[in-house]
Amino acid sequence: MPTQEQNQKFIVPIGPQHPALKEPGHFEFTVDGEIVTAASVRLGYVHRGIEKGTEDRTWTQNVYLLERICGICSHVHVTAYVVAVEQLAKVQAPPRAEAIRTIVAELERIHSHMLWLGVAAHEGGFDSLFMYSWRDRETVMDILETISGNRVHYSANILGGVKFDIDDQKRDFILKGLEFLEERTNHYMKIVTTDETFLGRTRNIGTMTKEQAIELGAVGPTARASGVTIDIRDSAPYSAYKTFPVNVITDETGDLLARFVVRIKELLESYRLIREILDHMPEGELAARIPRRIPAGETIHRVEAPRGELFYYVKSGGGDKPERIKVRTPSLCNWSSVINFAVGHKLADMPMILAGIDPCFSCNDRLIKIRRANQSQVWTWEDLRLHGIEYYR
Amino acid sequence: MDLDKVLLEGENLLQPWTVSTSRPEENRSDVVVARENLHAAVEAIKDAGWGYLTAITGLDCPAPAVAEGEPAPEGNLELLYHFCNGLAVVTLRVSLPYGDPTLPSVCDLLPYATLYERELIELFGVRIQNTPDTSRLVLPDDWPDGIYPLRKAFTGFAAPATEEKE
Amino acid sequence: MDMAVKTPSSPMQKVMDGLRAWARINSPWVIHYNSGSCNGCDIEILATLTPRYDLERFGVKLQGSPRHADVLIATGPVTRQSRERLLRIYEQMPDPKFVVAVGSCGLSGGVFHGCYNIVGSIDEVLPVSAYIPGCPPRPEAIIQGVVALLQSLKPQ
Ligand code: SF4
Repeated sequence: MPTQEQNQKFIVPIGPQHPALKEPGHFEFTVDGEIVTAASVRLGYVHRGIEKGTEDRTWTQNVYLLERICGICSHVHVTAYVVAVEQLAKVQAPPRAEAIRTIVAELERIHSHMLWLGVAAHEGGFDSLFMYSWRDRETVMDILETISGNRVHYSANILGGVKFDIDDQKRDFILKGLEFLEERTNHYMKIVTTDETFLGRTRNIGTMTKEQAIELGAVGPTARASGVTIDIRDSAPYSAYKTFPVNVITDETGDLLARFVVRIKELLESYRLIREILDHMPEGELAARIPRRIPAGETIHRVEAPRGELFYYVKSGGGDKPERIKVRTPSLCNWSSVINFAVGHKLADMPMILAGIDPCFSCNDRLIKIRRANQSQVWTWEDLRLHGIEYYR
Repeated sequence: MDLDKVLLEGENLLQPWTVSTSRPEENRSDVVVARENLHAAVEAIKDAGWGYLTAITGLDCPAPAVAEGEPAPEGNLELLYHFCNGLAVVTLRVSLPYGDPTLPSVCDLLPYATLYERELIELFGVRIQNTPDTSRLVLPDDWPDGIYPLRKAFTGFAAPATEEKE
Repeated sequence: MDMAVKTPSSPMQKVMDGLRAWARINSPWVIHYNSGSCNGCDIEILATLTPRYDLERFGVKLQGSPRHADVLIATGPVTRQSRERLLRIYEQMPDPKFVVAVGSCGLSGGVFHGCYNIVGSIDEVLPVSAYIPGCPPRPEAIIQGVVALLQSLKPQ
């Protein structure tokens, strides 16, 4: 590992060789001794040009393109898109379709939060928690596969409704899986809040106050851990959330521990919500008919993705292709908050702080870099991670 | 909460700078402002604590095709600043001519707007004055200057620009 | 890449080559690079390492440095920005080296084909030894692909 002298420029050029971060990231941190004094981000290694790509695909083709913006939160992207298109076409998806959409969205949240729990634990060097949470995550992957036929891109949505039904057999399968997951989640809650080594790396670290969170525009669980009550499912309910309200989970402390606690509590809330919807499944059709050409107009739809508020702006010129689709992903907001609030924290805490916002590069196809004043030295993400683990040894 | 009241409150805040207002959907209000008033309008919303800036959408509106011989009218870039407050969305619309796409930055008011502004600079070629960071955000390092992929005039490269490097 | 074809010059050489092939097949080190994927393939690759699938039982180890790697698992279409990095990682790997392309995107550009920032599929940039189709491929498929690659390395 490189020595740390003052005024060094550390560049963490790519996360790609890093097994858990999965995506390329390029951060630039300027550090003085151990303290970060400035941070900036360079994104774009996975920038594919999707927004432009939507303009030469038809409304239906875009369902599949937009689903593939992100493999972790694929379903919410499509939900935001199809609901926006339905608004433009003045078509209302049948209630049963909305319920199924919501169930899949919540299952996706479960899978995403468990994935995050593992990755974040790995960044702190807690590899057994990583392995356990990923083992248990397979349960929810099984559920998703059983109901949709695929583990990652479920293609649940079509314009006007959903593609598959949830019958009694699938329902029982989901309920059984949730029972197991609930038990494991309670166990994680206990570990995360009582294990001393774990608390040493999370308590009072990377604290973001409520004022900061608002000022910096944080969204999703990151903001809720700082006591900001924003959850689109609650403040601007859509689909089945109108009939089945969620309880917004917040925490006051705003440190890393709070971000863990909020996400774990959200898991429990998702279990409750899925059960409630399954108990009161509305009967009826699965999809409404939608015209091939969407009437001209523009609309906005916002949904709560696992990582926070996801924003879609859709403009139609009246043809069979959209004129403009704008996607603003939650990770983008959280990046801008993290580059501002990383300042003043220890370099050793960076892996956990960055992982704490649950970054998703491919959502935004962006990249981050880290810098010290004049000398230049290259660190890999792995070096940074090990530095963090060593520091707290 | 009364949606209409919230929207009205937002519209009233913007009253001094409004050129025109419309309600395209029941939860949305579009407010057109002139670009020199954008900063003041954003400041009013921020000071009143009305919602938060969710996104800035860029739109390219090329001039409609005209018959041969007539002078072609100039196209516009349109920027949409979306502010959300619960279910209500107020959108500030600013129009910029191709010839002079300059605009004041709002980063001094809303620091988190920096990534949105960098995106606009790169993808639409908007010139934003006094924005703290103008380095490349999403486009590759070898992207040619002066090509803005989200403008309608851009329809892709003839051949991949990196081909001959192999 | 040609170890099975090479005629060994001496008995000692032959033993050493056999040993090397044996070691490589039984413990290949793998590096993973995402050149523009949607993460779907990447989380499935990560899932193959976790207890349910446990790729490590084949001696496969995922690690961070290209200089130690035998196999490059690449996912996603190649974007303009990541093309150079992908090439650099490949160049840094010691010979013999193999590339596995995972996912429809890596095979053909997939749904992203034609987007302005996409160069194309992985085999337009690097020589690919194994293709694993799927969007994303199931972890079992990824394991099968890697194992098939290893089998093909066995000296006849
Ligand atoms: S093949 Fe599918 S899952 Fe894999 S990167 Fe491409 S879109 Fe994502």
